[in-house]
Amino acid sequence: MTPESWQRASPHLDRLLEFSSIERRRYLQHLLTEDSALVADLEGLLDEGRQLQGERFLEQDAQELLGAPATERRVFGAYELEQLLGEGGMGSVWLGQRRDGHFEGRAAVKLLSAALLGPSGITRFRREATILARLQHPHIAQLLDAGVSPAGQPFLVLEFVEGEPIDQWCDRRSLDLRARLSLFLEVASAVAHAHSNLVVHADLKPSNVMVSREGRVKLLDFGIAKLLEGDARDGGPSALTLEAGRAFTPSFAAPEQITGGNVSTATDVYGLGSLLYLLLVGRYPTEGLAGTPRELLQAVLETEPDRPSEAVHSPRAEEREQSAEIARRRGTTPERLRRALRGDLDTIVAKALKKKPEERYGSVAALAEDVSRYLEQKPILARPDSFPYKARKFARRHLRSLAALATLALALVAVAGFYGARLRRERARADRVSSFLTELLSQADPFVAGQGEPTVKSLLAAGAARVRKDLAGEPEFRRDMLTLLGRIYERRGDSGAAVPLLEDAVGLARKTLGPSPELAQGLNDLGVALGQRAELEAARTALEEALTLRQRFLGLEDPLVGVTESELGRTFLDQGRLEEAEAHFRAALAIRRKALGSAHHETATSMSDLGLLLRQKGDRAAAEALLREALQVNRAVAGPRHPDTGTALANLALTVSERGDLKAAESMFREALAISQASLGRDHPDNAVRMSNLAFVLRQRGKLAEAEALCRQGLALARPALGPDHPAVSRQEVGLARVYLDQGRAEAAEPLLRHALEIQAASYVRTDWRRGAAFSLLGDALTRERRFAEAEALLEQASELLHVLPDPDAFQTREALANRARLAALYRAWGRPEKAAPYLPLR
Amino acid sequence: MEPYLSTPVHAAEAGAVQASEALFATLYRDLRGLARRELARVGPGAALGATSLLHEAYLNLAERESMAFPDRARFFGYAARVMRGLVIDGLRRRHAQKRGGGLEITSLDGKEVGAEALASQAEEMERLGRALDELAALEPELAQVVDLKFFCGFTFAEIASHRGVTERTVQRHWDKARIYLRRNLGAELPA
Repeated sequence: MTPESWQRASPHLDRLLEFSSIERRRYLQHLLTEDSALVADLEGLLDEGRQLQGERFLEQDAQELLGAPATERRVFGAYELEQLLGEGGMGSVWLGQRRDGHFEGRAAVKLLSAALLGPSGITRFRREATILARLQHPHIAQLLDAGVSPAGQPFLVLEFVEGEPIDQWCDRRSLDLRARLSLFLEVASAVAHAHSNLVVHADLKPSNVMVSREGRVKLLDFGIAKLLEGDARDGGPSALTLEAGRAFTPSFAAPEQITGGNVSTATDVYGLGSLLYLLLVGRYPTEGLAGTPRELLQAVLETEPDRPSEAVHSPRAEEREQSAEIARRRGTTPERLRRALRGDLDTIVAKALKKKPEERYGSVAALAEDVSRYLEQKPILARPDSFPYKARKFARRHLRSLAALATLALALVAVAGFYGARLRRERARADRVSSFLTELLSQADPFVAGQGEPTVKSLLAAGAARVRKDLAGEPEFRRDMLTLLGRIYERRGDSGAAVPLLEDAVGLARKTLGPSPELAQGLNDLGVALGQRAELEAARTALEEALTLRQRFLGLEDPLVGVTESELGRTFLDQGRLEEAEAHFRAALAIRRKALGSAHHETATSMSDLGLLLRQKGDRAAAEALLREALQVNRAVAGPRHPDTGTALANLALTVSERGDLKAAESMFREALAISQASLGRDHPDNAVRMSNLAFVLRQRGKLAEAEALCRQGLALARPALGPDHPAVSRQEVGLARVYLDQGRAEAAEPLLRHALEIQAASYVRTDWRRGAAFSLLGDALTRERRFAEAEALLEQASELLHVLPDPDAFQTREALANRARLAALYRAWGRPEKAAPYLPLR
Repeated sequence: MEPYLSTPVHAAEAGAVQASEALFATLYRDLRGLARRELARVGPGAALGATSLLHEAYLNLAERESMAFPDRARFFGYAARVMRGLVIDGLRRRHAQKRGGGLEITSLDGKEVGAEALASQAEEMERLGRALDELAALEPELAQVVDLKFFCGFTFAEIASHRGVTERTVQRHWDKARIYLRRNLGAELPA
């Protein structure tokens, strides 16, 4: 292609790349009348683009070519790739080995083609994967982990199943019909379980239904077809998603998958029907009806398959040998097999394989019920219909396949209606309870009253005792009271008292209601309180369950879903898992902007959350913009003296200080501290955070005495309120240690840093850079104490954890560079200037 | 101190070829120095971490001539071009050493890479480099995205934030650049 023709094509290509395939066609047609050579060029270029989608052209990093160890590219979550197991349209499958020596060593790691996902699909991918990870059933291969690697590669980690496809397994052992049907029932129970979690498989085929050596059925790839569907933004599936390769297998596909209708639980009923057909008669329903792929698709849409009893007994001589073989594999003869299939099994298979979804079994459970009845020799429930004696080729043009989605839609509406009514009833009850209690206790909540009151504590304790003692016979009322008391304790910063109350409330909800919006609420509250207590894994588990339940009962865009997304984001943030945190924060912000508007305090909270996270990730400009917006909203909505305004102010001050405007940051931090002391009471542990913030800036401005006093005050507040081993305490300790080091008091800094490192080891992920900072500071302290060998080990450990980020002013960048300087200082003090050289700034 | 640094940057802005080469040479020297130091620190065979090298080079330069640099986006544009040169030179050197029996190289699948494979890799990369130069003459921002992403390992998000554009835009530039390169390199595609 000449430079001239590229230049001519380039602006058109820009537009075309943003278009759907239909729009592209229209655009090119329009252009054709003007310039056919240009159109030919453009079509060639678009074709290159299409071919790129399946390739990895330039997607590998050039650094790898230089022999940089590939391990970091081969590590996904906790797993390292060992060996390629297979490749297909969706990507490749690898055998993965856990790297942390965990005993469940092996897993299957699926690397999905990023092209199937698209840039906007990543958040959705993570959310869907979270739902799938909760799908636990003995016959479903568990999704262990999912995510997107730093290089942008989406991956899934699945339980590794050694075994063989169900049809081969049955054939090799010459299982009879009863044994085959029993295995089939295991498959059906797994699918039914997934359906009760609103997950469909949509690609049931033998290679996804494995039987382990012990003879246990394991279903692979549950929900993954859905995971890979593009954004549902533009409604129905576009031609583009078809080009990208919809994940189904033609021989097992239901008609609605081929016409692009909606995939529903009825699709899996069809898939199970196909599988049953294969297990019974040794071939697919549409096998032998078609030559080309096109004919196959047509057969799925239009041709009624042979009845199973007919399929195993072909009148044609050349197929007799084959029939005999199939019967032998089922421990019988063709004639006996035909008789066994005729009647009930013919009817069951026919009903499962109906072209119209609404004519199939209404659920997988109903299909399984009939198979069980057959095995128990009871009459089946499906009625034989006028199943055509011979395949009727091209008998019925399939025009209304889109009507198929009605089944699932109706079911969803019914479910939502049922819970909606129940929710309203419950809400009325909860309102009564809370108004009663709120009256009694309103002054207890600092966010309502503006000031703390000392008498509240005893009131609350009395309330809690009363709930436990007097309300044993009224579980629902009791649950509401426990929840309310727990929440009030939690908001007062006493999460130690909140957790047992909320745990009781969750236990009650689980027992009396099962999965329900109330249980979700309880789990959400419990997760928040656990998070306060730094029990982060427990918090995450509770919140993830709450999220799944809320999404299920309230839909994806309910403000309450936003609440849980937000809390989950914070939990991940506290664990140092920034990617997951960002996904949840973004989800929360999007939900709230849409549902509540931008000028709402919850939306502002989400802005702050995301802003702080982006700051930590080094995107300071975006962070500051969000935090400013949050402050404005809080000032306008909550008022200038509200604790939320104080928090917003402190958050903004943090980025301002990072930017280097220490003077402005100092006055903002002072204001924030004053607000929090006034509104939360002087003993509230949140004050400690403000104090350490202010101290951090004061230290940088050389006001060491005031910084030291504030740090000590903060620690004195945080230790009793949060417990001596809370991560927030470790942050206070590191802050005070920095002041001591600036004052030249290494021996005072050392014990603080050692204790902080102990806390961090228990609560942060191993690679958290803040651990690197503490290592580095401790190394510095030991250098000054002239304990050089120990210092060297610590500083080297620190350099493993500290990285230079894109933002040169980011705390981590500064710490990373400071660590280098500390290494250089160490070697100079040690009398080894030659080892210092590599760490000196390059001149 | 290298006081001439500010001059080449501004002159390169103005499009003067020689000045641009001077800047190129300075950056090249800096980056190689940093890479060597990094290797000396962590030992051979370690990941070079192109992105952090570039950041550090930037910090070094900015420290030396803090007023001289127009903006970071432009810096990374130049530096990424330099990094491409480093990678291709590195491959070429590897090839030479391999022929001399000096060095063993491990490929992705853990198998040793033969001299032939290396030679063709180096050639492929050189071809890619030439095609990128041609593209840079037509649409510099497209070529730059390839330098930053493929040769330096930056993510779309990072590139977007350097340039102050959306990730979507970077993604589109990337797609477009790959289309151009695929078209012009034909069947001889690198990994």
